[in-house]
Amino acid sequence: MAMTGIDFNALSLMDALDLAILVEDEAQERYEEFSEQMEQHRTPEAAAFFRHMAGNEAKHGRELSARRTHMFRDAPRSVTRAMLFDVEAPDYDAARAFMSPRRAMEAALASETKARRFFEAALNAIRDASVHALFLELRDEEIQHQELVQAEIAKLPPDSGLADEDFVDEPAPQ
Amino acid sequence: MSPNSVIEYQPKDYKSSLKPIWCPGCGDYTVVQAIYRALAAIGRPPHEIAFVSGIGCSSRIPGYTTAYGFNSVHGRALPIAQGIKMANPDLLVLAAGGDGDGFSIGGGHIAHMIRRNMDIAYIVMDNQIYGLTKGQLSPTSQKGRITATSHYGSLEEPVNPLLYVLAYGAGFVAQAAPTDLPGMAAVIEEAIRYPGFAFVNIQSPCVTYGEEAQQVKGLKAISQNLVDIGHNPADRLAAMDLAQHYGSKLYLGVFYRNPEPPRTYTDLVKDRQELLSKDALPKERILDLFIKK
Repeated sequence: MAMTGIDFNALSLMDALDLAILVEDEAQERYEEFSEQMEQHRTPEAAAFFRHMAGNEAKHGRELSARRTHMFRDAPRSVTRAMLFDVEAPDYDAARAFMSPRRAMEAALASETKARRFFEAALNAIRDASVHALFLELRDEEIQHQELVQAEIAKLPPDSGLADEDFVDEPAPQ
Repeated sequence: MSPNSVIEYQPKDYKSSLKPIWCPGCGDYTVVQAIYRALAAIGRPPHEIAFVSGIGCSSRIPGYTTAYGFNSVHGRALPIAQGIKMANPDLLVLAAGGDGDGFSIGGGHIAHMIRRNMDIAYIVMDNQIYGLTKGQLSPTSQKGRITATSHYGSLEEPVNPLLYVLAYGAGFVAQAAPTDLPGMAAVIEEAIRYPGFAFVNIQSPCVTYGEEAQQVKGLKAISQNLVDIGHNPADRLAAMDLAQHYGSKLYLGVFYRNPEPPRTYTDLVKDRQELLSKDALPKERILDLFIKK
């Protein structure tokens, strides 16, 4: 997780909303990428789960965008995607060929946890009351998402005991 | 659209409809995303970009962009990229490949590309293994590494790509890793903007055949940003000093940027053509050279 060039102490509500929208956009794109990767590697259950997560992130992004438009109309944005990396998006190396639905959900859970920690850490630096309230709300949403994913994991049948690597070809001596 | 309007390109404009078939978790996924971002920042339309690669997992990358792509011959990305640049110097030419492609079979081409100073950005996705052929020793594999072709451990020292290109006099040398996608996009953009040969080494982990220490978590543990340590990228000797730590430390950012870039080969050729054309026979009289009087 990384964020560069952002002074949380001086963050305005508009910038905070824009930042939150970009965080959701990044997560949505990453889940879409993961879904495509899983489809390419014949892992349909994980693909479907990642597609579902992409849909969730898109929905949150739309909600935040609607708020932003309502409050600030089309005022130019000063935060960019180059300022953030891997805030709520799952780490690129969390994806694996033939990953089980459990492992896919665990990757999503790790991302929600990571996002919660990000908002918690940012809260310490924020001075503006409205931005503080927004970040508290976003932090609470991440906690709620964590609980939702945990509930889904609990419903899963036990894994076969095989590791993802068991489905990948071993290096072939030449 | 008015003739004067400027098209603002987005990263998605450089993404092709072809879906990558790299192993999920592969570092190359971040590289292609960084390339989309860098190209969008530069803003050249895809049809003005030629993207050439060799052979290997990473050499699939041109196909995942909307640029004109050439997935060429093993180790020959650079000569082909050079031919394209010479034929049409107005094109933005990128070359890419893996460490095996670039520093083993294609290793001899790099020196000549550097001494000619072709205006080409060369991106090497360095994973220290031949992944496509299922895990054989590559030129950047660490000494002692056990692979399909080194059951008792490699006896050879690895090639140091950074030191290699610095020693030959490359004008722009940088390194990036999937630990920092915005940073990777920034150095690729800078490499493309550099007027001359630019080299970017990207530590791109192989999730299937790579070692644990070379995965993203391992890279994070040894990475350090060159800006944070106060490195001056105009200092070539300091860059060489830092480059010696390849394999043990992962310095990210620009190692060297020639503050006074020399003229490129295509510029020099153009000058020569202009000079010679003053005394050249008019086109309609060329046949006279072959007709006995």
